Amino acid sequence: MANATFPFPENLWIMIPEMIIAVMAMTLLLVDLFVAKDKKYLIAYATIASCVLAIVALLNIQSADGLMTFYGYFVYDPFAVFAKILILVATVFTVILSLDFMKDEENVGEYYCLILFAVLGMMLMASSNNFITFYLGLELMALSIYVLVAYQRDVLRSTEAALKYFILGSLSSGMLLYGVTFLYGVTTSFDFNAIGQALASTNASAHIAVMLGMLFVIAGMAFKVSVAPFHMWTPDTYEGAPTPVTAFMSVAPKVAGFVVFMRVLVDAMPAIQHDYTQVLIVLAGLTIIVGNVAAIAQRNIKRMLAYSTVGHVGFVLLGLIAANQEGYTGALMYLTIYLFMNMGVFAIIILMRRDGIQGELIDDFAGLSRVRPGYALAMGLLLFSLAGIPFLAGFWAKLLVIAAVIKAGHLYLGVLAIVFSVVGSFYYLRLIKYMYFDEERVTFNFIENNGMRFSVVVCALAVVVLGLYPDPVIAICKNALVGLI
Amino acid sequence: MQEVLNTTELLAIPALPLIAALIVGLFGWALKETLSHTITTASVIASAALSIHVFTQVLDGSSYYGNFWEWMISGSFKVPVGMMIDQLTAIMMITVTIVSACVHIYTIGYMHGDPGYSRFFAYISGFTFSMLVLVMGNNFFTLFFGWEAVGLVSYLLIGFWFKRESANFASLKAFIVNRVGDFGFAVGILAIWYYFGTIDYREVFDHVETFVAQGHMLSFMGWQMDAITFICLALFVGAMGKSGQVPLHVWLPDSMEGPTPISALIHAATMVTAGVFMVARCSPMFEFSETALAAVTLVGAITAWMCATIGLVQNDIKRVIAYSTCSQLGYMFVACGVSAYSVGIFHLMTHAYFKALLFLAAGSVIHAVMAEQDIRKMGQLRKYMPVTYITMLIAALALSGIPPFAGYWSKDLIIEAAAVTEMGWIGQFAYFAVLSGVFMTAFYTFRMFFLTFHNSDRVPEEIKPHVHESPWVITLPLCILAVGALAAGYWGANVLHMPGVGNEVQGFFGTSIFVLEVHDPLLRLEEMEHAGSIGLMIEFGPLMLALSGIGLAVLMYLRKTSMPKSLAKAAGPLYTFLLNKWYWDELYAKVFMRPAQCLGNWLWQKADLAMIDRGILHGMIVDSVASGALRFRAMQTGMVYHYAYVMVIGVFGLLTWLLLKA
Repeated sequence: MANATFPFPENLWIMIPEMIIAVMAMTLLLVDLFVAKDKKYLIAYATIASCVLAIVALLNIQSADGLMTFYGYFVYDPFAVFAKILILVATVFTVILSLDFMKDEENVGEYYCLILFAVLGMMLMASSNNFITFYLGLELMALSIYVLVAYQRDVLRSTEAALKYFILGSLSSGMLLYGVTFLYGVTTSFDFNAIGQALASTNASAHIAVMLGMLFVIAGMAFKVSVAPFHMWTPDTYEGAPTPVTAFMSVAPKVAGFVVFMRVLVDAMPAIQHDYTQVLIVLAGLTIIVGNVAAIAQRNIKRMLAYSTVGHVGFVLLGLIAANQEGYTGALMYLTIYLFMNMGVFAIIILMRRDGIQGELIDDFAGLSRVRPGYALAMGLLLFSLAGIPFLAGFWAKLLVIAAVIKAGHLYLGVLAIVFSVVGSFYYLRLIKYMYFDEERVTFNFIENNGMRFSVVVCALAVVVLGLYPDPVIAICKNALVGLI
Repeated sequence: MQEVLNTTELLAIPALPLIAALIVGLFGWALKETLSHTITTASVIASAALSIHVFTQVLDGSSYYGNFWEWMISGSFKVPVGMMIDQLTAIMMITVTIVSACVHIYTIGYMHGDPGYSRFFAYISGFTFSMLVLVMGNNFFTLFFGWEAVGLVSYLLIGFWFKRESANFASLKAFIVNRVGDFGFAVGILAIWYYFGTIDYREVFDHVETFVAQGHMLSFMGWQMDAITFICLALFVGAMGKSGQVPLHVWLPDSMEGPTPISALIHAATMVTAGVFMVARCSPMFEFSETALAAVTLVGAITAWMCATIGLVQNDIKRVIAYSTCSQLGYMFVACGVSAYSVGIFHLMTHAYFKALLFLAAGSVIHAVMAEQDIRKMGQLRKYMPVTYITMLIAALALSGIPPFAGYWSKDLIIEAAAVTEMGWIGQFAYFAVLSGVFMTAFYTFRMFFLTFHNSDRVPEEIKPHVHESPWVITLPLCILAVGALAAGYWGANVLHMPGVGNEVQGFFGTSIFVLEVHDPLLRLEEMEHAGSIGLMIEFGPLMLALSGIGLAVLMYLRKTSMPKSLAKAAGPLYTFLLNKWYWDELYAKVFMRPAQCLGNWLWQKADLAMIDRGILHGMIVDSVASGALRFRAMQTGMVYHYAYVMVIGVFGLLTWLLLKA
């Protein structure tokens, strides 16, 4: 080992965005100690600034595709850039949503630092091209989010949610690592591409080991993106977590998880595509059914949206099953649109605070159109979009993945998806019915916050504009795939 | 002087009323009454002025043909939007815009104070736009667009007083009956596209002759026929619906539920004549199908005769005129059917003036006697409203066909054309129908006229103090239209030479109407005139009959006023039969409405509620989804070990399946 030399890594500059986030996270942690309690919003602004800075850096790095650094453990390609921008945008929204919500918590500075650490983990995942980087990023993200979920530590359900998430998360990490050991045992590599090449030439005797590895790796990743039957933590955690954290969790980790999911499937497992496709079909079908059906029985809007997330994740999986350019484009498009839809909906939920209590039950939305017609309209648009009504953005998201999966030859899966998107539209439309046709049942004190209003407007506009004119974003998603396939 | 017309000017003609309609329709709630009617009336008057300018240019030989825009391209199916302006279009344009302008002015007085004032103006301006699109277009799509748009406005206006149940019923009736016709019309247009591969007038008409020579046949419900016959018959079904021809005439008398200006503009002068215009426009196609021409003649003759008989006994002033409209439309179709299209359009134009005048004058009367429409409760009104009296007399004389009023010139020619046509029994029947129709027309017109303005004074006492002549905004359009009712016939016949002979460019219409020489009744009339072989009956019969019709009305309603009652008693069943309009409504109620209602009820109760709602939806789908949702919720116990259990079972279940399968 003494002879092993590690020269200074080449191309380190492609990590500048990650460096910005890491340095800012640690700096803010220190600075936080010197900021007075009523000035903590400065930390939040600094968090937003660092995210914006990172986005600017990402957009300005000129690099050849597939450039690597850290001895090939970190890859930089359009695919990673696209995912990181989505993650950072989601983070900016999250911080805006947190500003008012978290202002009375203890040590709120740490809260923003934890968000930044989670972002760093996700960015590492997006750029990982081997299981080591992937796992590092994953754990950094997961550990930060466990704490974020438990942030209101006096609230019982918040800590309970975090503990459940932590225990089950550990189990899933165990599964992931178990799967990785099998793959390493067969191929003697952690590198996605190397594993892919090795798997193409393994003999039949290793089949069981490969299947075991594939299955456990998929299970580990499926847990992070809430694929049934690994979704059980989702409703409890979403309900218990502070609402801005729920919004964050429902978008950013899903993006990171799916990105690495796609990389693993495309780079490491092309040789066993037939087998993993069958597994994914079962998982996707189950996820779509569970997500859309279970949401109907929920009275708490956060739990309902948790199942809604599960349902949407099932749709994104359709793109992965199609396993071609159309499918992956559809999946990326879906994640992009989902970001705006969910952030908008959560912004409105957070706005509906009455006397310090969250408006969380769907009954609370009754008569909203008469109290706040603007919010009701925005909420209506977002919900219609989530339900996939043309011509709002959600329609195109669903259309792209369903068209892709049908073209790939899985007609029955497309039909199933359509049928259950009809079932699913029930609970979105029910909420609209409550808002527009029912009498007001409770009175609200709305949070007056321009930042959040801005988020609502941006999200609702995005849903409408992308719905009317989705082509440019579809083109961007297609270009982002250059690094992948 | 063969010149191309100015495109901007042509576009402005329909665009002005459209813009006015949009402004007043969308922002009418914010506009004052004065502003609403100023915008729309000014735009329609401007449109009328431009139309007259275009008309004079067309007289000098100018024309226009061009596409502005491809609305839709799907494979070989192209839907362009364009205009074709020729003599036929020009005469329609001035008729539509002038009558519309008069009605706009009239409406200012008539609808004053109505809560839907600006809505009404938006509708009638929108109607003017639609009608102009209908006549100015250069293909079957623009024709269809205009056709449906005028139908829509007609529906909206019949139900204008939407709080009245009878108005709602009438508007639905109009809409549904027109649906039947429009279905045929759409089939006709689709057949044109199927056989010709285009819907452009010029391209289709240029190819008709070769197309017929190729002898395309098709079998329709086991009936072999020429493709061209099928197309023409299908198109004519549309015309029957729109122009109130038997058996699709039932909606037209009921449409009188709408405000009177609408009855004048839409249900007398312009929209209902769209069918006649369409047949004349498609003369290059109808000429090649003897069957279709025979059908047009027969339907027109039956309508002309039957609606005249109904008109004899009606007591509602507007209904008398409405049945007269049906009947006169029948005359126009007879003219088209015997290939005298130019005469049909000529009658369309003269009829537009005097029929609009009749309706507007009737509206003036109704306005004066506090919305009473029953002529049995009027009488002696000439003392109170002289202008209305005189103008209505002019219109009545014109409708009866007394020279020199407008109706004489056109109607006389229709009867002569029907007399000399060589269509066998259909021709003879048509001749009989239109000839006897003249007598009835004169009688019912003057019956209505005498009962309203002469006879005994039967106006209820409480209304009498209110009876007065209408304001100038109402009487001015009456005077303008009276000029038309006086002079349009002489002008059309002797100045424009509208009843053109043959296909040479002798008459006004030139090449815009196509007639095969063997069909042309006007050519035959001319030959007979040269030979001096026209009988006295053909030449003077109609006038004699009209005069005797008026004479009978004088006798019954001026001299021996007890006669009508005893006559009605003597004719017992016949009188009831006519009074109940030949029982068409009852027949339709029995044959179509009841069964449709029964079927609808059955489908609603049994098929929808019982089977789909309770059986399939609640029995299978909703319940299983709901119970599934509850089961999923029950599985969500909140216990970590249950969750972990599910995960582990999931992984191992998949693993087992995967390995067993391999």
